[in-house]
Amino acid sequence: MVSHLIKKLSMFVLLSFVLVMFILAMSDLEFLYNNAGKVFFSNNGYYDTGSRNLVTAIYLDYRLFDSLFEAGILLVAVSGVLWISQHNIKEKNATFMMDKQKTPELFITFGRVLYPVMLLFGLYIILNGHLSPGGGFQGGAIVATAILILYYIDISKEIDVHVIITIEKLLFLLLLGVSFVSFFTRGEIMTNFMPLDGDIELKQIYLYMLNIIIGAKVALGLVAVFTSFLKEGR
Amino acid sequence: MIEYMPLLFVMIPVVLSIVIYLFKFRMVSRLVFVGQAAMISIFIYMLFEGVYENPITLIFGGWSPIFAISFYVDQTSLIFIGLTLFMWFVILLFTFKKHRDDHMYLFFLMFLQGVFLGLVQTNDLFNFFVFLELITVLVTILISYNKNGPSFRAGIYYLLINTLGAMFILIGIILLYYVYGSINIQYVASQIGQFSESTIVKLAYVMMLSGISIKVAFVPLYSWLPRAHGVAQTSVSALLSGLIVKLSLYAFIRIHHDLFLEASYNTGLFFFYIGAITGLVGVTFALVQKDLKQILAYHTVSQIGLMMMGLSSLNDVSFSGGFLHIINHAFFKSLLFLAAGQIIYAYKTKKVYDIQGVFKTMPFTAILLIIGMLSISGMPFFSGYVSKSLIKYAFKDNTFHMILYTLINIGTVTSFLKFSRILFGPKLDVMFIFRDSKRVIAMALLAIVSIAIGIFYLPIITQVFGFEATQVNLFDIRSWLDYILYVSIGLVLYRVVIKKDFKFLQKIRNFSMSFEDANYALILFMSVFISVMFFMI
Amino acid sequence: MNPILSFIVILVGIYGVATSKNIIKSVFSVTIIEAGTILLFLNLAVYEGGLIPILTELGMDVVDPLPQALMITTIVIGSTITSLALMLCIKIFHHFGSIEWKVIFGGDK
Repeated sequence: MVSHLIKKLSMFVLLSFVLVMFILAMSDLEFLYNNAGKVFFSNNGYYDTGSRNLVTAIYLDYRLFDSLFEAGILLVAVSGVLWISQHNIKEKNATFMMDKQKTPELFITFGRVLYPVMLLFGLYIILNGHLSPGGGFQGGAIVATAILILYYIDISKEIDVHVIITIEKLLFLLLLGVSFVSFFTRGEIMTNFMPLDGDIELKQIYLYMLNIIIGAKVALGLVAVFTSFLKEGR
Repeated sequence: MIEYMPLLFVMIPVVLSIVIYLFKFRMVSRLVFVGQAAMISIFIYMLFEGVYENPITLIFGGWSPIFAISFYVDQTSLIFIGLTLFMWFVILLFTFKKHRDDHMYLFFLMFLQGVFLGLVQTNDLFNFFVFLELITVLVTILISYNKNGPSFRAGIYYLLINTLGAMFILIGIILLYYVYGSINIQYVASQIGQFSESTIVKLAYVMMLSGISIKVAFVPLYSWLPRAHGVAQTSVSALLSGLIVKLSLYAFIRIHHDLFLEASYNTGLFFFYIGAITGLVGVTFALVQKDLKQILAYHTVSQIGLMMMGLSSLNDVSFSGGFLHIINHAFFKSLLFLAAGQIIYAYKTKKVYDIQGVFKTMPFTAILLIIGMLSISGMPFFSGYVSKSLIKYAFKDNTFHMILYTLINIGTVTSFLKFSRILFGPKLDVMFIFRDSKRVIAMALLAIVSIAIGIFYLPIITQVFGFEATQVNLFDIRSWLDYILYVSIGLVLYRVVIKKDFKFLQKIRNFSMSFEDANYALILFMSVFISVMFFMI
Repeated sequence: MNPILSFIVILVGIYGVATSKNIIKSVFSVTIIEAGTILLFLNLAVYEGGLIPILTELGMDVVDPLPQALMITTIVIGSTITSLALMLCIKIFHHFGSIEWKVIFGGDK
């Protein structure tokens, strides 16, 4: 017990030391704060990309390569979770629960009301990613939550996970394809395929397409993860 | 046109991996070799076009280079790309017969290759972080691929510790962004001289290097490495020990030598001592292990310490020695892992004391194993000798450093003497030898390269590193005498101490850091680093 | 003041990771560290009178949009790592019957 106490005490001391160093560093920041990035994005963001939401402009146009691999990590993690969750014969302690209780009627009724509302809200956020806060990733998470409400409504409903992740991989290939189209129209890769000095309305087509693909992909991925967790205990 | 080729290195494996997953036919899995051949030809084309002398930059989207993601391919990147392509080709050759119907495995393996090739070329700090996390997730899945108990616990240990390291790197990136306004490596490297004395930049340096130190597996943060490398499949272990740990050394080179070069923090000596301690601790643990793969895994820790002793110095010769040791170690460590995997599969046991008579039962594997062992112990005419001589060039006048270096070498030789006892003994009747010509070809390729670097080191070093390697002499009597001395001391040490298996050796073998202790050690390491950084330099 | 509080959140997470005996507690401590990092990055960008970076009219004084875009990626990465870790925890429970670090690693060494 004494060693535990010594360990915890020394942790406190070391962590406070790090905190003091950080506070000193923060006081430096008041002189050294650099605004170059902010100035660049707020001046050029709207005209270059056609999106009022500067954050969407960044992750769909200036830094599309990052978003591709963010979708990629979702893809890999979903496949990994699915692979790990498949049962092996050698497990000793796996207990399989049957769902003994039925969901209360209140949940089912409210679920039926809530499901279309949430779906619509999620779709609104996906489509309006470039005009208001939102975008593909955020809206995809909301659509996933909406689909998962179905589990409350009908608890024995089985969704075929393999079909879902096959569609997800096809969507990833589609995403790669759309980001490469700009190579042929503009000579640069991973950006909007409309010309740089073109009409702003036309540039928004690209943003719509990307947001929809990313939203669908994220929604399917999250539904697959949750389903495999649920099936693990069955 | 040549500027777009770095992107192909990333896109070909990724697209190939998804295609392999979608179409589950045997014909399709042969496409992996087509992909490898395509990338190797692109790589040779790039070398022909002189990319080695003139680094190329590829900016995504054509925006201003300070604010967009870019790829920067220079000499370091090209060496790592070449190494990756070669290693992946060998591993695919080795594991193809066993896994050609296992499309999930090929999917994860090829995606890992694409992400790895992206990591060594990227010029953007946040992109670097995303790739690092991707590699963590992929390696976790590959470690737990067997789905038995030890794999899962090794997997979660690896995942949590490496995520922690990546988070520290992210905090460092955050602090750098607010001071310099950009996260482009080349741009920040040119600007870093301006504010390098301020607390915040020093704190960013400490956090980034602490995160990298976890991934490099320095003492006291090494505990995830033996667990992960010991339980994975043979091909995965070979890839991990051979290549994936080297990516953290690549990160060290990029951040310490490229990003913070102008800041001139004199932390070389600190990293040298950490490397030396890592080398000694690794080899001590390797001496007392009973499990074949654990010996090799602890060895990796020790060799990484040796590489750090080379990479941390400001001397160009030692730095090249450390770099060359990265390449050599990839070759001979994966050769050892692959051969050990074959032996374990044939004998159905992992303990050193239970395996005998490999030389008579599996002669070809035994010869390859001997080549690997001679390389790692630094015998002249093999590759290990070249890199180790280059590393020790910087401190050959400093007695204390030479003592540390000699101790690590003696330990290495002794533990491989212990390893080699599996070779002797009568021929056993094993029926499970995996007869596959591709495996033998794969291992033979690695062995040939080890010997080739050992003999033809002069033209190789002149081409790759750009200086005349006169410090390494194949026929220097003193080096031969040194080697024979090491072997004799090693034999004595082995007979007297190791074979008897004293009580305190058992205690060392059973020493393992739990997860909480590992994190506590991390905070201790970071605090020591902060103190050194701020109060001693 | 806000960045320092975010850093304290990170330190709480580090303390949790270093002293938790349960695997699930460790996983959630790592999640806390991620949340603290995200808060840190965002808090350093805001200042008094800065508006959110959505240009309803041109020439607005907005906060820096780059940290927000990077943090979207970080949140997604954090959630995938948490889901992978939790699935591994379930599997470990099935194989070993317990989720304490001592019991799991106590076995054969």
